[in-house]
Amino acid sequence: MKKNLRLSIIPYLFLIPYLFAFIAFRFGPSIAGFFVSLTRWNIVGTPKFIGFSNYFELFGDPSFITSLINTLYFMALTVPALIVLGLLIALLVDQNLKGRTVTRTFVFMPYVIMSTVVGVIWMWIFDTHFGILNYYLSFFGIKPIAWLSSVNWAMPAVAITTIWWTVGFNMILFLAGLQDIPEELKEAARIDGASNWQIFWNVTFPLLRPTTVVVLMLTLINSFEVFDQVYVMTGGGPSMATLTVIQYMYFQAFQYFRLGYGSAVAYVVFAFLIVLVLVERQLLKKVGES
Amino acid sequence: MKRKNKYFSKTILYLLLIVFTVLAFAPILWMTVSAFKPEGEIASYPPTWVPQHPTLSNFSYVLETFNFLRWTLNSFLAAIIATIIVILIDSMAAFSFARFHFKGNALLYATVLSMLMVPIQVTIIPLYLMFAHVHLLNTITSLILPTTGNVTGVFILRNFFRSVPQDLIDAARIDGAGYLRIWWTIMLPIARPSISAVAIITFISNWTNFLWPLVSVNSDASRTLPVGIAEFFGGQSGVSGSAPQYGPAMAAALMATIPAIVVFLLLQRYFVKGITMTGIKG
Repeated sequence: MKKNLRLSIIPYLFLIPYLFAFIAFRFGPSIAGFFVSLTRWNIVGTPKFIGFSNYFELFGDPSFITSLINTLYFMALTVPALIVLGLLIALLVDQNLKGRTVTRTFVFMPYVIMSTVVGVIWMWIFDTHFGILNYYLSFFGIKPIAWLSSVNWAMPAVAITTIWWTVGFNMILFLAGLQDIPEELKEAARIDGASNWQIFWNVTFPLLRPTTVVVLMLTLINSFEVFDQVYVMTGGGPSMATLTVIQYMYFQAFQYFRLGYGSAVAYVVFAFLIVLVLVERQLLKKVGES
Repeated sequence: MKRKNKYFSKTILYLLLIVFTVLAFAPILWMTVSAFKPEGEIASYPPTWVPQHPTLSNFSYVLETFNFLRWTLNSFLAAIIATIIVILIDSMAAFSFARFHFKGNALLYATVLSMLMVPIQVTIIPLYLMFAHVHLLNTITSLILPTTGNVTGVFILRNFFRSVPQDLIDAARIDGAGYLRIWWTIMLPIARPSISAVAIITFISNWTNFLWPLVSVNSDASRTLPVGIAEFFGGQSGVSGSAPQYGPAMAAALMATIPAIVVFLLLQRYFVKGITMTGIKG
């Protein structure tokens, strides 16, 4: 009897330290953010409950709409490239080639560099007058591009930076997925006379589907939450051309000190992510059925 | 004919291998080369991949002008302390979730996992208000605590602990070991690969964390490395719109990068493990 009583307390004792941290720093703030978003809360002064006014204001706020469109544009530039390149490089280093581990190491290496350093490195590469990129482009007769200070090129520049930085992450995930596919299946297809291409489409790719779903989801989420590179490289400019939603949240909350409004932005981001994940699931289900 | 074709495609594969390697490494190399170029040479045209007059002046400029070492120390301290706390409390919680039947186990664990869906950015403003309220902004503590509420550590370790044979625990129980002892002397050592993976993920994510340190710290004494670099070498740092100096910027970038790359090369296995465990098995 005594033993049972002890047994019933012990698991909770093991949980307490973590649950305290989890509730105080993750779960609690996640919920609290919603209540902050229902207030007008400037850092000085007391919060005032205003219902959903912040949300109504947001969707009539042209800067917010711009940041949303910019973020979707950034996703369009990065997500397909990150998926396709990540898979391509994974397939490549999965082949029996000499030096493939070297490639794997080097392709993944940028991912361990901190985001702000990545931003600083690429600012130098993209420099209009002395940047190495414009120098090499000049060989092809391309005139110097003002990468980071032109409305048209700033976002592609940030996208290129991001692809370089994170493609190794996707490669590693795809590689792990590829290595889970039994070699016998490919071998059997080969004996039946299938070409490499046929093996890829009919054996490897379908079996890689669970991996692809996860990688796509992670890539979509990370792209939607882009902040660091943009903050460092362009600060959202020129003329809001690279302003992203998380950056807008940051500006509202910590430059204009509109904490309630900033929280509303964060919650809209949250809502978008949920929609994104649901849409992805739905689409993949359809693809799977057809 | 077929043989020739095979030879041809092998060549293409090797070519691709080289192209990707070069593209991935060139920016890192360019940063390194630029860091050693004196001020006059860095903007010389055409650019060269070997410094003509290599110098350490960019490095000494960074170290003398900025609190670079202080930022590094802050980042390191915050990351290492956070990692130790996370390993301890996450492994305890994971042990509990994985090996005990108790009321609310499934519900609590589901609540923990549900936070994987909630973007961390949602927590920034409430955390700011909370830390401001207890006067902990601008401290290393404020850099450490939010990391301890992480979910992935519990997730990875719970999955591992579930695979530990029950016989191991029963045998220890028969020998009279308490659960705390089982956690410390059996579960932790046996989970070493998973714990290494959690440690690396936690360390790196804290070490490179940007948004929260940017918001929570504005004194130079508590500033972290990513924030210091962004504030003094980023696009917004130029005084009255002047361009940042790239020589010192690359020197700072290189100094911030070398430790990460060294650690990565030494512990590559665990990096990869950590990533695949959070990605695939999620």
